[in-house]
Amino acid sequence: MLSRLLLDPFALPFMRRALVEVLLLGALAGGVGVFVVLRRLAFLADALSHAVFPGVVIGYLVSGQSGIVPGALVFAVLAVVLFTVAAARARVGQDAALAILLTSFFGLGVVLVSRQRSYTADLTTFLFGRVLTVDSTQITQTAVVAVVVGLVLYALRKELLLRTFDQQTARAMGYRVVLLDLVLNLMIALVVVAAVKAVGTILSIALLVVPAAAARLLSDRLLVVTGLAVLFGVLGGWLGLAASYEASINHGVRLASGATIVLALVVFYLLALGVGPLVRRRWRRGARLPDEVADVDGLPADRPARQAHVGGGVR
Amino acid sequence: MKQQVVGSQVDGGADVDAGTAPVDADDGLSPVVVFDRASVAYGRVPVLEDVDGVVGAGHMVALIGPNGGGKSTLIKAILGLVPVVRGRIQVLGRTPVRARQDVAYVPQADTLDPDFPVSVGQVVLMGRYRQIGWVRRPRRPDRLIAAEALAAVGLAHRGGDRFGTLSGGQRQRVLLARAMTQRPRLLLLDEPFNGVDTLSQQALLSAIDGLRAAGTTVVISTHDLSLAHLACDDVCLVNRHQFGFGPTAATLTPERLRAAYGSAALELRGEGVIVAQP
Repeated sequence: MLSRLLLDPFALPFMRRALVEVLLLGALAGGVGVFVVLRRLAFLADALSHAVFPGVVIGYLVSGQSGIVPGALVFAVLAVVLFTVAAARARVGQDAALAILLTSFFGLGVVLVSRQRSYTADLTTFLFGRVLTVDSTQITQTAVVAVVVGLVLYALRKELLLRTFDQQTARAMGYRVVLLDLVLNLMIALVVVAAVKAVGTILSIALLVVPAAAARLLSDRLLVVTGLAVLFGVLGGWLGLAASYEASINHGVRLASGATIVLALVVFYLLALGVGPLVRRRWRRGARLPDEVADVDGLPADRPARQAHVGGGVR
Repeated sequence: MKQQVVGSQVDGGADVDAGTAPVDADDGLSPVVVFDRASVAYGRVPVLEDVDGVVGAGHMVALIGPNGGGKSTLIKAILGLVPVVRGRIQVLGRTPVRARQDVAYVPQADTLDPDFPVSVGQVVLMGRYRQIGWVRRPRRPDRLIAAEALAAVGLAHRGGDRFGTLSGGQRQRVLLARAMTQRPRLLLLDEPFNGVDTLSQQALLSAIDGLRAAGTTVVISTHDLSLAHLACDDVCLVNRHQFGFGPTAATLTPERLRAAYGSAALELRGEGVIVAQP
């Protein structure tokens, strides 16, 4: 029964491609989402998802389906640079700068798309995506984005943690906070771009925010939060796809797959909201060795695997 | 927002007077911080004007003055985070920006999000990030240094706890421990005793004593006058501009305090002591 629901739909090639795409996106967005939630950048992610819209339209007009991702990428980078600079310099305030960016870019996109004959249909596709028509080129694009974003976030994990936790001290220590912000914002933009075609501009924000927010409810440890966020992103994509297939094929209820994925994520969030207070363990006193402190990842410092590496296994 | 404005301006190259009139900072005797009629500003609004004086090597100097008088801004100027619009500030014979690697900063603990998912040990290790470098992870020596610093503030057993579960005073001690792991020559503390319990205040002071014994110079902003009298060699009394800079007892005169604090200064009968309300 379970395997009929969860596995059988993906015997179809187009469903298998969609599954691979949402698994990649779910893991990617879940991981990046942890920083989005901790930095309180959900509104930036939202603005970006709208700001890429004109890029999507222009890309489509210039070279059809294959132009969507490059077009979105150009506008995402443009929007991130404008936002980061505006937030750092202008006196308008971060929220106002974002609102201006969001509405002006989105307005431009709507003006462009409204010149098309199939206006409404195109608009709907852009806004909500079409995960079932994902092709292997796009899966490759998403995989590349996942690798790049994963490597960058891993390389900068210490500095991003410090900047997120204590911006003032990061500056005092000589870190270029504006540059760190720019890098993180660009990573968020890349995820939004990768997610646009599958789940659409509007729903891509849910992928970034909801899994990480749910994970945050369940743990106080950054590493655990990140792991859970990735897990929720992956599971939400899988279950959402399976549910929309089951409803559409076997019950005659047509469910948009992108939206179903988002609803699956929201279910995780609601569950986490309910059980969070019960499962979240308090950090116990003395849980760590007294003569060392935990690593940047929150792992105990004396894992056996590391001891050989450090070469000082005196204990 | 304000801070971001300032930061970007510094990033944009607002460093002061690179390389003019260098003072040899490595003989251990030269002043650690030199204020040369320095005025600092956020944007075009001057916050603090005409600060003039020196912080001697190994000294502990209190920045005293009412809230909003420019104490925190002066600390940020020493860090090179707020531009000096007139005059000059030199740190260890260098510009503030260039001296950063030898300067550690302790922010107020209550400016940090207590819900942030980070452990006490992780916070202390952050002080080592510059030494560790990009990409690499902390090694055993870094963790030992962090553990040592945590022990010096009396919190060795709390390394695994979430930062936000500690009391305000304990969090302040953790932030001091983090600064200690940087092995600074100049330590800057912004209002470390605000809302801090007596036990934590003692722990902070004794850890600071340990640093001073090792030769670290300390600048501390506070509105606790008794602390300035007890623990500090010199004070710098500021409120928009400087009201005095020199040895504590000679500088904190009733006249100067009344001038700096205005109506917030109260005179106690008999002893002639001024109690300033922040």
